[in-house]
Amino acid sequence: MIRLSLRDLWGRKLRTALTMLAIVLGVAMIAGTYVITDQIDNGFHNIFEKAAVGTDVNITRKAAFSGSDVFSSGGALPVALLDQVRAVKGVADAAGTVEASGAVVVNGKSVSTGGAPTLVFSTAPPRFSQSKYIAGAAPARDGTVAINAKLATDKHLQVGDTIGLGTEQGQQQVVISGIFDFGNSTSIGGATLVATTVADAQRWYNQEGQYSAISVAAEPGVTPDTLAARLKTALPAYAEVKTSAQSVADNTKAVSDAIGNVLRTILLAFGGVAVIVGAFIIFNAFSITVAQRIREFAMLRSLGATRRQVLASVIGEAGALGLIASLLGIAAGIGIAKGINALFHAVGADIPTSGIALAPRTIVVSLVVGIGVALLAALAPALRATRVPPVAALHEGATLPPSVVSRYSPIIAAVAAVVGGVSLAAGMFVHGTTASRLFEMGLGAVLIFVAVAMVAKHVVRPLASVIGWPAARFAGSSGRLARENATRNPARTAATAAALMIGLAVVVFVAVFAQGFKTSFVSAVDRSVNAAIVVSGQSGGTIPDAALATVRAVPGVDQAAGVYSATTQINDGSTASMTGVDPVTFGPMWRFHWLKGGSDALLGKLTGGAALVEEQFAAKYNLSKGKSFVALGQTGTKQRFTVIGEFRDPTLLTGFTVSQNAFDRLVPSNQRDPFYIIASSSADPAQTEAAVATALKAFPTAKVQTKADYTASLKKQVDQLLTLIYALLAVSVIISVFGIVNTLVLSVYERTREIGMLRAIGTTRRQMRRIVRYESVITSIIGGILGTVLGVLFAYVVSTRLASQGITFSVPWGQLVVFLIVAGFVGVIAAVLPARRAARVNILDAIHYE
Amino acid sequence: MSDVRQQGIEIVPQACERPPSTPEPVVGAPAVVVARDLTRRYGTGDAAVDALGGVSIDLARGRFTAIMGPSGSGKSTLMHVLAGLDNPTSGAVWIDGVEITALKERQLTQLRRDKVGFIFQTFNLLPMLTAKENLVLPLTIAGTKLDEAWLATLVDAVALGDRLGHRPSELSGGQQQRVAIARALVSRPVVIFADEPTGNLDSKTGDEVLGLLRRSAGEFGQTIVMVTHDARAATVADRIVFLQDGRIELDCGRMSRDEIYDTIKSLEATSERGDGGPAR
Ligand SMILES: Nc1ncnc2c1ncn2[C@@H]1O[C@H](COP(=O)(O)OP(=O)(O)OP(=O)(O)O)[C@@H](O)[C@H]1O
Ligand SMILES: [Mg+2]
Repeated sequence: MIRLSLRDLWGRKLRTALTMLAIVLGVAMIAGTYVITDQIDNGFHNIFEKAAVGTDVNITRKAAFSGSDVFSSGGALPVALLDQVRAVKGVADAAGTVEASGAVVVNGKSVSTGGAPTLVFSTAPPRFSQSKYIAGAAPARDGTVAINAKLATDKHLQVGDTIGLGTEQGQQQVVISGIFDFGNSTSIGGATLVATTVADAQRWYNQEGQYSAISVAAEPGVTPDTLAARLKTALPAYAEVKTSAQSVADNTKAVSDAIGNVLRTILLAFGGVAVIVGAFIIFNAFSITVAQRIREFAMLRSLGATRRQVLASVIGEAGALGLIASLLGIAAGIGIAKGINALFHAVGADIPTSGIALAPRTIVVSLVVGIGVALLAALAPALRATRVPPVAALHEGATLPPSVVSRYSPIIAAVAAVVGGVSLAAGMFVHGTTASRLFEMGLGAVLIFVAVAMVAKHVVRPLASVIGWPAARFAGSSGRLARENATRNPARTAATAAALMIGLAVVVFVAVFAQGFKTSFVSAVDRSVNAAIVVSGQSGGTIPDAALATVRAVPGVDQAAGVYSATTQINDGSTASMTGVDPVTFGPMWRFHWLKGGSDALLGKLTGGAALVEEQFAAKYNLSKGKSFVALGQTGTKQRFTVIGEFRDPTLLTGFTVSQNAFDRLVPSNQRDPFYIIASSSADPAQTEAAVATALKAFPTAKVQTKADYTASLKKQVDQLLTLIYALLAVSVIISVFGIVNTLVLSVYERTREIGMLRAIGTTRRQMRRIVRYESVITSIIGGILGTVLGVLFAYVVSTRLASQGITFSVPWGQLVVFLIVAGFVGVIAAVLPARRAARVNILDAIHYE
Repeated sequence: MSDVRQQGIEIVPQACERPPSTPEPVVGAPAVVVARDLTRRYGTGDAAVDALGGVSIDLARGRFTAIMGPSGSGKSTLMHVLAGLDNPTSGAVWIDGVEITALKERQLTQLRRDKVGFIFQTFNLLPMLTAKENLVLPLTIAGTKLDEAWLATLVDAVALGDRLGHRPSELSGGQQQRVAIARALVSRPVVIFADEPTGNLDSKTGDEVLGLLRRSAGEFGQTIVMVTHDARAATVADRIVFLQDGRIELDCGRMSRDEIYDTIKSLEATSERGDGGPAR
């Protein structure tokens, strides 16, 4: 029996290929995601490992609490600690290093890094350093630096050249003393590396008398573990002592959590959408072929095949299909990963990679998903096949008995809808880990999709008659016939449309949600910021604090204020964002939305232990005017704050806002940099902008914009992200195109005789093509409409839920129309091949009775 | 061959004549379908089968012709070639003065639209359209205007009454076939080709269908060519052409059922005696 079904697979190559593609693409996304993220994880692991060579124990400052930052750190270590370390028995050598991020300026122009950081670090003695000098030597004198080979090659720099280095103290002119490779690579994942002397690094990056970390080497015979244990007892509690193996593992995990896992989750979600779309297509393909093979099944049954054998034959076919498709998917996934590597390489942002990493987990997950989906999707059609009675072999036009499922389908749909709704609601409203909530929301959405797909057959007829109206009206008989064809098997049309529906629903959801986000976030900036100029850091980073004084000194600038932000731990529980401002300068440039009778007068009282709280923060910790809370900063200092007022600002000043002094007490000195500087001016904004920009040349990471430009650039960022998301979702839409092609090809095959008859009575080939094309367009627009409605609905629910966080619900009508047009276009493309087949039907062959 | 013919002479019924090897050109051209020296060869080499071995025939306007013959004698092939559904290996066909064997696909479609009607054994109607919609389908496809009076006549003729709004699945086989006949008539084609229109029907419903075909020829002056196995069916035809091994064996006028049976028998006898038909 299985052999029979395998023969069948081979016999219908086109159908098999189309059905398989539905799985291949989804599995490829999943496999590709794992390969890429594993690669990134491994790449970073290699870097950390390389950097740790020669170091046995690593000492940093213990974080007061683990926050949301990638490497939460408690700031710097006092230089005196180094002597304490050296005094510990078993320490062969120890060196303190300073690390910071900066920027390089060549010929007056800031070097663009394509998003990768510019890491500045002080040189360490050779035993701790992985820098291999290919020209010159490590910086020995203050004012000299060494740079990595990639930067030197890219910018044609040589030993002896002078470059600018962006620091906390403004731009420094430095002379290149040497050029090095890090380990064997010219760069770390595209990052720019600058080595300075310890004294320079301390001075330039506000770390006078401090080290970021201390590297320790053990004497021969002393294991890192022993040494770490000794150091732990000998050193003060604030010192975080880790063996280098431990810190490599921790750092790898931190990066993995911040990049790999996040990326993995997001990409897997898109892969999941693709797989679900594929499932619908497989379900549909099997439903149709089972219906077409009804006489074959009946004949087998009449020859003595058991129901179980029939079931096994269909399921076996699905399993074989799933297996082959999964294997192809894995291969395609590796291909995708390679392609993306090449892409990154081409734009100069080498993600650190360690060759193609095909973990066993990747293969297992891909196979389980691919085969599982195929089996699951084919189960209902297979069960239906078992219900074909042997007598059906005798009937000319025998139809399938209604499936067991179909009798209960309203109930199943209702249950799926209810469970889906509950799961969605649970994900949105019940507290839990982000992962579990996302899972609940995803599951809810999938169940709702299934429910809608099941009931969709009831709306196919009315929708098709509306959508098909113009075709029937203006394209005459072709349009009419297409409309009739689309509605003659509503379940089939519904399942085909459902595949497109899912992809489009997610697209629409993202579009609507992004629109709301854009509107709310951008309008919040517009509303709150009452200043002409906005200075922001590079890729969401901070600006050196010294830049604030520079901005203030620019003629034409009336006032300037920095917006400082840090994470704190509230009442020994969860963390919240703390904003530090200078009330005198900041107040007039910020329009607070005061609640409960507050006014700008409150800013005058924002001193010492006073705090202004944002509505949500107040609600979360049950705070109101006069009540107090305790905040713990990364300096390890705890401070009790008393609420003096409440305001609403769910997007910008979340958490609580305190005076600059209070902020400084809780935040380590090397983290006290503003995220924004806003400046007011009574002069022409464009002129002031130009003046500020000139003044800030000394701070290459600072980006000066007028308020209007700044909001525009925010919008642009959201749009860029959207483009990326759309590209990922396009895969699902492409899969649904294959689904439509598949259904149409099968329908054309099924209707061969009808087509022959139509041709015999005078239908032209062109008309035949048109009939198929219109049917395809009607189907895809049904999917488009259902998807749009669902997507808007989901976006509405989620936006409403997030309304308190400032997300508004706003429908981008223009875009929705574009999506529907795209859906129609999808139909046109999907119809090309099936239409050609229909037009080629040979009349004689078609009417020849079997 | 001549031997066979001699033997056959005694049993040639009154109404029949042996076809001349080349028919005289019809003067005054009442013939709407003219075929000359049609051959149709399937396959090549040893496996080649000559389904038609040189058929010439003229079909006069308004006449109802039945094509009969044993299985594999080339009836369907002849009909397909006459209707332009298939190309002859050699020879030519004219419909309404147009040489259809020289036409391109596009022109053939146009010909089928305007001048030819078809009735098949099964699969005549589109399942998702009502009887009425099926009936007018050729006009809808061609985008031609509907002649209400003609339609009323046809609706009357199919005698479906209130069932015209029903879908084919709700109609009996005979009713479906009647709709198919009306559909073939609706565009007033020059000629209608029917391949075993009663093949799938019992004798009673078959009679209904034949009655309608007969009326179409009689009342509406419709030229009809019908391929059939069934002697009963052939009785309604004005002319019966017997094929044997891809050739016209006998060309007869109206015949009774018994005469047809006898003719078939005698033809079978001839066939058994000699060069049996091509293998099926
Ligand atoms: N497509 C084809 N390929 C090869 N041979 C064919 C093909 N179609 C018909 N034939 C052969 O041509 C001959 C005539 O076939 P045709 O279908 O015209 O016979 P028929 O008189 O209609 O028979 P029946 O009464 O069984 O329908 C037969 O021997 C048949 O096997
Ligand atoms: Mg035949």
